Amino acid sequence: MATIELQELTRRFGDVVALDSLELEVASGEFVSLLGPSGCGKTTALRIVAGFEWPDSGRVLVAGRDVLDLPANRRNMGMVFQAYSLFPNMTAQQNVEFGLRVRRRPKHDRSKRAAELLDLVGLAAQKDRYPRQLSGGQQQRVALARCLAIEPSVLLLDEPLSALDAKVRVQLREEVRRIQLELGITTLYVTHDQEEALSVSDRVAVMSSGRIEQIGSPAEIYGHPRTPFVASFVGTMNHLEATVVSSAAGKVRCGPAVLDVGLSAASHSDGDVVTMYVRPEHVHVVALAPGQDMPPELFEGKVTSLTFLGPVTRVGIASALGGLLADVSSSMALSLAIDSTVGVSIEAGSLRSLALT
Amino acid sequence: MTTPAVLADGLPGDVGRKRAAISRRGQARRGGRTRFPLWSWFWIGFAALYFLVPVFSLVQFSFGGTLANGRSAGFHWFLAVFDDPAFRSSFWLSAQIAFETVALSLLLMVPTVFWVHLRLPRLKPVMDFVSVLPFVVPPIVLVVGLEPFLQNFTWLYSRPEVLPFIYVVFALPFLYRSIDAGLRAIDLRTLSEAASNLGASTFGALARVVLPNLRSAVIGGSLLTFAIAMGEYTIASLLLFNTFPVYIFYIGQGPAAHEATALSVISLLLTWIAMAALFVIGRGGRETAQLGVTK
Amino acid sequence: MAAVGTIEPAAGEPSVGPPSVGPPSEGSPSGSALQWRRGARTWLRWIGVVPFFGYLAIFLLIPTGELVVDAFKGPTGHFTGANVSAAVHAPYLSSFETSLELSALSALFGGILGVFVATAVLHRGVPAALRPVVFTFSGMASNFAGVPLAFAFSATIGTGGVLTGLFQHLGVDLTTLVPLTSGVIGLSLVYTYFQFPLMILLVIPAIDGLKREWREASTNLGASTISYWRYVGLPIILPSLLGMMLLLFGSAFSAYATAYALSGSTGNLVPEVIGNLLNGNITVDPQLAYALAFGMIVIITVVLVCYSLLQRRASRWLR
Repeated sequence: MATIELQELTRRFGDVVALDSLELEVASGEFVSLLGPSGCGKTTALRIVAGFEWPDSGRVLVAGRDVLDLPANRRNMGMVFQAYSLFPNMTAQQNVEFGLRVRRRPKHDRSKRAAELLDLVGLAAQKDRYPRQLSGGQQQRVALARCLAIEPSVLLLDEPLSALDAKVRVQLREEVRRIQLELGITTLYVTHDQEEALSVSDRVAVMSSGRIEQIGSPAEIYGHPRTPFVASFVGTMNHLEATVVSSAAGKVRCGPAVLDVGLSAASHSDGDVVTMYVRPEHVHVVALAPGQDMPPELFEGKVTSLTFLGPVTRVGIASALGGLLADVSSSMALSLAIDSTVGVSIEAGSLRSLALT
Repeated sequence: MTTPAVLADGLPGDVGRKRAAISRRGQARRGGRTRFPLWSWFWIGFAALYFLVPVFSLVQFSFGGTLANGRSAGFHWFLAVFDDPAFRSSFWLSAQIAFETVALSLLLMVPTVFWVHLRLPRLKPVMDFVSVLPFVVPPIVLVVGLEPFLQNFTWLYSRPEVLPFIYVVFALPFLYRSIDAGLRAIDLRTLSEAASNLGASTFGALARVVLPNLRSAVIGGSLLTFAIAMGEYTIASLLLFNTFPVYIFYIGQGPAAHEATALSVISLLLTWIAMAALFVIGRGGRETAQLGVTK
Repeated sequence: MAAVGTIEPAAGEPSVGPPSVGPPSEGSPSGSALQWRRGARTWLRWIGVVPFFGYLAIFLLIPTGELVVDAFKGPTGHFTGANVSAAVHAPYLSSFETSLELSALSALFGGILGVFVATAVLHRGVPAALRPVVFTFSGMASNFAGVPLAFAFSATIGTGGVLTGLFQHLGVDLTTLVPLTSGVIGLSLVYTYFQFPLMILLVIPAIDGLKREWREASTNLGASTISYWRYVGLPIILPSLLGMMLLLFGSAFSAYATAYALSGSTGNLVPEVIGNLLNGNITVDPQLAYALAFGMIVIITVVLVCYSLLQRRASRWLR
């Protein structure tokens, strides 16, 4: 299998910079997602690798070889498009055979290989159906089988699940991952859906304005966002304005409270104004019994909103620290009411500033 | 497209040079990739020549020739044509017929297309088919068939007012297509239901909500209809009415070849003014349509 | 009229149009009074299209029907097959041959040139700003027919024409190579003038219907441009293309003014012969004119039947 390297890839459309000196390395057999909002350049990057777009400058190496010289139809890459890419005049089987047909492989080989792949994606029984007789999810399975048929060096997926229903989406993304692991094929996956990216990838590259903001394992991206963009784009984040009291002791002041943030303050000087981040699941809420005094280790807060999300309920709280969101178990949330006073605490070590360099 | 070298100019020092170096390599390579679409331009150029050369020849001819006093003609043929009372009467006859055709076909087509969209959507395939009929129905066959029938109505048959009634049939495809396209774009059913929910009657809703939206489609179709009615020769000549095209033909048969080309240029200009207006309206329509899409 | 017969199956075919929607306000269907009312409303719904179809009946259907009957009548009103028999024998058979040849040639020229230009205009490397310009010019040229067009071509490749003069310097005589007043080659070039822009207007939506993803997927799978068109593009749009070329064929077959203005009373196309028989350029024989017109109706009907079959076929993959 092959590695992919993007080196200083730059692409402008008029005044818009789609890619700004993009650098990315994908190891052999690795599954890397490009995650970002629309217009961040992720699709442009993928289409440059596939050969449908060209960079103004930079290089694309696949297995160490520069592929920008090669026309798209000689790059031997498998690409799955957003939707509707199946040839409507061919059955599922004929679609899968197409790449082998233009390579003039014998009929017998073609149908054998197509049968294997349709079996792999679980559509052996539907091989004689036309695309319009298949559901959206089935169509994307056929599209996947079709590009795997040519034994591509790399697999490129351009938001392949975005046109599908939520349930099919979850099921299919797991299947894509299973097949990718089974074949060990190097995969570049473009999506704007963070849950999708975090759940299937070896590494996620979060993109914004044509650059990679941060690249790392899903856990790193979620747990240790390094830029404000990543912090606010991936998952939900509370932002707190704070002043560094003591960088050595790791203390910041936020409203009336002095909070212990540990090493996170180390890169700042005393007196700096910083933004501290904390995830809602690290904000704890305690319902107070009537007449009960506020325990000293808790801050006082007032419930402003309750949003039921299934296993957890997201609680909006107005507190002296500012507005906060907290995730509490839905059973516990039953004891909360809008406008009720609650005690709030922030889990030790979960509050951090971004290491800005 | 901006060249990478120009882009690199704006960058300071080292980075600029490095980028420029990379760009130059990219540039050299790109020769093999985005090829100049030679064949596309060839066909476009060929089509443009096919379109323009006869027009050019016609125009040249209409200004060509020399007069008895040895001077070149210039606008002479045009002026001569304008002076001919037969020109004026045939021209106004055609214009009048064209206006009547537009009015009559709007009266017939607008309510029908609305009705089909609102109440009988399953009739659309039939309408689509019927609307291509006049493309292929020979005007001469229609005249041959209509003549005995029209002779029963001598008061109409002997007057040029009979022509608009026949031209409506030939204008049908153009008007139908443009109104149909206009209605497709605005989802009539939802609009009229929304309006009825708000308390407007269906036809009140049509008048206030839908018609303004449809203005450009209706004007466009009308312009085409006008151009077609203005240029129709077969039926008018066989029914012996001296319309503008019949007059051009008559002049062309005589010795006045230059006058005939001058008349053709006038006729051509008329059609083109209609088409150019259509282009302007169409562009306006597209812009409003785009506005609806972008957030 | 036979052409109308082809409408019926299209009306009953639900897959052609958008899914038929029930009456906008669905009530509960129970109760015979309600059912009666609904039946009345269904019936009422057809009232709105009565003027239109009534009009078409008077100005399209009745004349055609009358003509078909008259084609089989003698000068004294008795029924006879003599006219039709004369129409399909010499010398009139050759008129049909010439007309068919001319229509086929100009549909072929116009169709192919139109497809090439349309594909060229939609090419990625050609600026999109060119599209509305080509649209407008196509609208102009497709409506530039009849007497002025005939004069324009006379001024171009006729005796003393601009191109004729130019080619004379090269030793080529255009008036014998592409004569405008005899044969079909010159005339088919004239017809192509309005045929190919018409084809551009007709075919651009169909070519636009080919999704970019199909092209890219086929490229990605290793197909060349030729393979793409061979296996994907052409199979999908071929029915539409053929249908449109049939329309071009029909419009060329019906055209009269352009040819008549070029060749006068010597023309041998069916419409010209009919015209001559009616206005007495040679002889007046309305019965024979009816028979020839009947022949044209038969051919146009065949064209329309094939067209609607192709349309149905085309809607299978392009919607």
